Amino acid sequence: MDEKAKRTRELLASFYSTDPSAGGGAGVGAAVSPRKMASPDSINSLSFDPDVYMSLLVQKLNLEGLLQKHVEMAAEIKNLDTDLQMLVYENYNKFINATDTIKRMKNNIVGMEANMEQLLAKITSVQSKSDLVNTSLFEKREHIEKLHRTRNLLRKVQFIYDLPTRLAKCIKAEAYADAVRFFIGAKPIFEAYGDSSFQDCKRASEEAIDLVIKNLQAKIYLDSEPIEARAEAVVLLKQLNFPVDSLKTKLLEKLEDYLMTLQDEHKETGASAMDTLETSEPSDIGKLSDTILSLKTPTDTNMASVGEISKIICAYLIIFPDSERRLIELIQDLFTKRYGIIEQRVKERMTSADILKMIRVIWEDVILMDDVLAEAALPAFSLEAARSIIRQFISTSFSHLLLEVSDALTKSQPTPQKGSEESSLQNTLEGSKKAVIQGSLDLLLEFRQLLDDNLELLAKLRDLIVDWVQEGFQGFFQKLDEQFLGLCGRGYIANPISSVIDAVQVDKVQTGLVLVLAQLSVFIEQIAIPRIMEEIAASFSGGGARGYEHGPAFVPGEICRIFRSAGERFLLLYINMKTQKISILLKKRFTTPNWTKHKEPREVHMFVDLLLQELEAVGIEVRQILPQGLVRRHRHSDSTGSTNSSRSNPTREDKLTRTNTQRVRSQFLESHLAKLFEQKMEIFTKVQYTQESVISTIIKFCLKSLQEFVRLQTFNRSGFQQIQLDIEFLKNPLKEFVDDDAAIDFLLKEVIGAAHERRVYLQLFFKFNVIQ
Amino acid sequence: MRGASTGIVYGGLKYQARCIADVKADTDHTSFLAGTLSLKEENEVHLIRLSTPGLELVCEGLFYHPNEIWDLKSCPFNPRIFSTVFTSGETYGASVWQIPQLNGQSNAPQLEHLISLNEHSFKIKCVLWWPSGKNDKLISIDEGNLFLWSIDTSNKMAKVISQESVGMRHNLSGGAWDPHDRNAVAGICDSSLEFWDLRTMKKTSSIEQAHARDFDYNPKKQHLLVTAEDISGIRLWDLRSPKFPVKELPGHAHWTWVVRHNPEYDELILSSGTDSTVNLWLAHPPGADDLMSESPVDSPKRSKDSLLNSYTDYEDSVYGLAWSTRDPSIFASLSYDGRVVVEWVKSYIRRK
Repeated sequence: MDEKAKRTRELLASFYSTDPSAGGGAGVGAAVSPRKMASPDSINSLSFDPDVYMSLLVQKLNLEGLLQKHVEMAAEIKNLDTDLQMLVYENYNKFINATDTIKRMKNNIVGMEANMEQLLAKITSVQSKSDLVNTSLFEKREHIEKLHRTRNLLRKVQFIYDLPTRLAKCIKAEAYADAVRFFIGAKPIFEAYGDSSFQDCKRASEEAIDLVIKNLQAKIYLDSEPIEARAEAVVLLKQLNFPVDSLKTKLLEKLEDYLMTLQDEHKETGASAMDTLETSEPSDIGKLSDTILSLKTPTDTNMASVGEISKIICAYLIIFPDSERRLIELIQDLFTKRYGIIEQRVKERMTSADILKMIRVIWEDVILMDDVLAEAALPAFSLEAARSIIRQFISTSFSHLLLEVSDALTKSQPTPQKGSEESSLQNTLEGSKKAVIQGSLDLLLEFRQLLDDNLELLAKLRDLIVDWVQEGFQGFFQKLDEQFLGLCGRGYIANPISSVIDAVQVDKVQTGLVLVLAQLSVFIEQIAIPRIMEEIAASFSGGGARGYEHGPAFVPGEICRIFRSAGERFLLLYINMKTQKISILLKKRFTTPNWTKHKEPREVHMFVDLLLQELEAVGIEVRQILPQGLVRRHRHSDSTGSTNSSRSNPTREDKLTRTNTQRVRSQFLESHLAKLFEQKMEIFTKVQYTQESVISTIIKFCLKSLQEFVRLQTFNRSGFQQIQLDIEFLKNPLKEFVDDDAAIDFLLKEVIGAAHERRVYLQLFFKFNVIQ
Repeated sequence: MRGASTGIVYGGLKYQARCIADVKADTDHTSFLAGTLSLKEENEVHLIRLSTPGLELVCEGLFYHPNEIWDLKSCPFNPRIFSTVFTSGETYGASVWQIPQLNGQSNAPQLEHLISLNEHSFKIKCVLWWPSGKNDKLISIDEGNLFLWSIDTSNKMAKVISQESVGMRHNLSGGAWDPHDRNAVAGICDSSLEFWDLRTMKKTSSIEQAHARDFDYNPKKQHLLVTAEDISGIRLWDLRSPKFPVKELPGHAHWTWVVRHNPEYDELILSSGTDSTVNLWLAHPPGADDLMSESPVDSPKRSKDSLLNSYTDYEDSVYGLAWSTRDPSIFASLSYDGRVVVEWVKSYIRRK
């Protein structure tokens, strides 16, 4: 079938294409030519050569094949013939059809023109008629339009004339939004014609709108109004071109005022709280606060007012969204001031409970505020403030303690009457001991309250507080040491600049005080510090904000060391002061008279009495302060015997006076030798914190000084005898002071020995005077 | 701290003694002069020399001195000249002596008496030589006066250049010539230290509240001096701020009698006292690097000043103390019983 169709098409193609060489012949030829070359046996190609084809067939096929080909070809030819016939018929048919149509068309066209002309005429007439109608209606339409415009205008005018009443109605109904809308609608007209036609109207409505503005302002100021209404009012005012900013500032000022009054109130309440705390029992707070007019309990008022403030601020935030910064400033200012009040108060002495109370109150407020105004960063701010407050609190507590201790020390100082002095030193000592230990423990207790409190704010400061407390103690004891030094006029050692005044008054320092200081230092070292250390270890361990390389801030070892050395220093100072006093006495005694022209001794010189008096005074002071020590015999006691025999014996002195110089010399050698064999006397042993030790040290020092003074003089016989007499007299009273007979004997003997050595003989006088 | 008895002992002094002086002008030997203090015997002046290997103290010369010697100073430019202050009962005097030429024998030849400083009407306390080098100036101090002398040793002449009286109320007891400012001299006056300008002979300044028994100028640094006091032990002062001492050292158990700077290492201070000890201290004088030590007691600076050694091998109070100028690591001490002990401080010098 396909083949057939193909062939038909080809046939048709060859049929329609009149000239195969022209009209696409080139293309076809070009396309076909290779095929021709390839298959000369293809019958359908344009350059088909029957001869070649024939010869090819003959060559290729046998007879049978040729026959078969023949049959095939014959059939094909037949087919082609019929196809051609069919084509011819069809074409012919078409041609007949076309001729028929043309014939019919010729017939139909006749009479059409007339119809067309008729139509044209009709349309023209319609056109003219329509024009006619249009012109006749034009005037009326114009009129109607004019009337319509007038009516609109009239309605507007009516609206404006009605505006005041309408506004009044709105005001009555408090529909301010409508009123503002109306007024704004009418505003352009008023602006255009306000000066002429609608003058009254304008004035009336403006009055009305003023009223509206006023009402709106009032509404804004009215705290009882719902916030939304107030916010709306502000928006309306803004629409009315009302200067809202001034309004805002005014409102903020109002708020500020409010805060100020609140602060004052707070101050008052704070003060009253202080009063109540100071003057009455905690249970009386309620009663007392009733009298303070509207303030119930201080905390309540605060709570209420801060609640209000937070509400107001909340409202303002909605009303004036752009006022946030100012509000933050205000609030921060408020809290700064409140913390300022506390800080002020911290400068005085107050308990940590008070501090805690105050901080807690503020902290609650802060939390309240923080909900409203998170941007103000109040918690961080408060943390900072609380930090400085607590720090200050701790440091003031310590300085107060320091003051108390020095007060306790100096309080009884200016009353050195003879009668009261008996126990005053003891009282001072006990008082200052108590001041130190009780004060420190109290402080620790206070600080513990700070730590134990569960306030979130303080929890963050915990480590810092621990450190501060430890540092505080360290500093406190160091300062205490300096203060002690200052008290006994030696402040310039520790601090050469600050204690200029103190140091000048070295002479005025009371010796008793020095002794008290010595004993107090021992007390601090042995009892107070371990006790405080325990306390600190129990509740103030940790910290660590300082970093580990610094170690803990409180170093009890160091403090102990400081006070141990301080104690020793004070004790020595006491002894020094006393011996110095006596030494001055002795100096006067030995430098004033001319010993070489001394008269026969008549009685014991009065310096002995003075000396004993001084020692008595020392005894009184020492007995008050220092504990009684164990009776300790001097190590020298076992060698007294040998001393006695070898040293110059006072009873033999008279005999010696007559000996010649040779004798003197040998005696010198003798005493030398004796000294060599004698056990070395240890006069300068370590002083202990006991009555006996201190007194005997002082006496030993005095006797040693006596010996030294004697050595600087030259005596005649009478002078020597005077010394002998005095020393003999001293012997027994001194032994009453000290148990160490041996040492006293030894020293007294030394004195007499020294005097003997410095005793001059008349004949020698002459001799040397001659030489000179 | 307790030093073992490492020193060399010279036991030649037969009597009690207070005074020992370094012979500054003797550049060949380390020698000291010591004078005895005996009321009843003829007193002696010993010229003691440290033998060259430094093992022995040899008596180079022994001279009789008529009276007991309370002060003895060696002339800074002539090793054979020295001065003494002496008393005998009520009488007193001050003289300059010359040691006679020694001919190998040391058995007590007489001292050559050069000059008597006999203008004094009070008890003489001490004689001061010009600090170093040859000069004819000499100062003598008695209880109430200060004399400036011009002496001529070769012609045995002395005359008073100027004199200043401190008044009856005061009582001079000692003095020293400022080695840095030759016109300044200081005296111990009851409870204060007074300073005079020799050109005008007027008081220039004073340190109040210093109950000094002895004092010594810092040989290396001007304005600094050290005092030995009964109550306060040893105190270091800066004359530019005389109100407060710069430093304090504990001093001795009883009175501190003498205090001396080492002539070469001025931070080494030697003191002796009536507690029969000699103490060697290390005390850094305040310098430019001292500003930080204003702060608390426990500053490391403070702890550096300390007692280096305590020489305790004495039987009696030690009144005499002298560093050797020739060898600054040597000092001699003299205790009342007449024992001269020479000690070495080399190990402490190195340690600093």
